[in-house]
Amino acid sequence: MIKKFIHQFASPKTYLFQVNRVYKYIFYFSLLIYTFSLIWGLLFTPEDFVQGNSFRIIYLHVPASFLSQSLYAIMAIASVTYLIWRVKLAAYLIIAIAPIGAMTTFLALISGSIWGIPTWGTWWQWDARITSTLILFIMYLGLISLHNSFSNFEKADKLLSWLVIVGFINIPIIKKSVDWWSTLHQSASITLTDKPSIDPSMLYPLIGSMIGFFGLIFCLVIISSKLQIFKREKTKSWIKDYV
Amino acid sequence: MFEFAFKSFQEAIYMNGHGVYVWSVVIILIFCLVCAFSYYKIKLKEYKKKLDETY
Repeated sequence: MIKKFIHQFASPKTYLFQVNRVYKYIFYFSLLIYTFSLIWGLLFTPEDFVQGNSFRIIYLHVPASFLSQSLYAIMAIASVTYLIWRVKLAAYLIIAIAPIGAMTTFLALISGSIWGIPTWGTWWQWDARITSTLILFIMYLGLISLHNSFSNFEKADKLLSWLVIVGFINIPIIKKSVDWWSTLHQSASITLTDKPSIDPSMLYPLIGSMIGFFGLIFCLVIISSKLQIFKREKTKSWIKDYV
Repeated sequence: MFEFAFKSFQEAIYMNGHGVYVWSVVIILIFCLVCAFSYYKIKLKEYKKKLDETY
C-alpha cells in the first residue's frame, strides 16, 4: 500500500506539475520573510551584552548551519526511499540537493569563521563542531564528484544512496559535538525540549530568518530537481507535453 | 521591539568595529544565493530550449 502511494504521488511527472503550481508563492513569501527578518535582526535588535554587534551574524550563520544538516538528513531519507521502494524521484532529489547542501555548509563555515575573529580571536580552530562541519562539506563535494564520474545513472544512484546513509553518522556527531567534547563553539541556544536561552527580541527575527532561508533553499531544491528530471526523463513522452 | 538600534546610519554600518564582519557575511550570503538562483535558472532555460529543439 505504501509502495503504491509513493509511486503514485512521487512520480517525476506529478512532482513537476505540483511544484510548478506552488513555486512562485513559496519563493516570494520566503524572500519577504527573509528580507524582513534580516533587516529586523541586523538593525533593530539590541546589541548583545557579551559579543556586542558581532552577534548579528547569528541571523545568517544559524539558518545556514541548520539547513546544511537538515538537507543531509533529507538526502538520507531519500536514499532509504530509493533503496527500499526504487522511487526514481528520490534518486533525482539526492543529486539535486547535494550541491545546495554544499553551498549551505560553505556558508555556515565561512560565516562561522568570520564570526570567530571578533569573538574567539581566531577564524579557525580544529574543534569538534567546526571539524565535523568541514567533514560534512567534504562529504557533499565527494558525493557530487562521485555521481559525476559515473556514466551509468542507475549504478551512480545506488552507490550514492548507500554512501549518503553511511555518511549520516556525521549528523548526530555535529549536533552533539558541543556536548560530548569541550569546544570553543557554544552549545545550542534553541532546542525543542528546553526554553530558549535567547531573549525574545533576538529570538523572533532569528526564527523569521530561519523560515525565510528554509523557503529560499527549498525553492533552489525545486529548480535543481527540475533540472535533474529534465536530464533523466528527456526521452519520456510526457516531457514533450510539459515543455 | 522595532526601535532602531543605532544612533545614525553611519553607526549602523560601523557597528562599533564589528560592521566589517557582519556586512561581509551579509554580502557573501546574498552573493551565493543570487549566483545559485541565476545558475539554476540559466541551466533550466538551456535545457528547456534543448528539449524544445528535440521535439
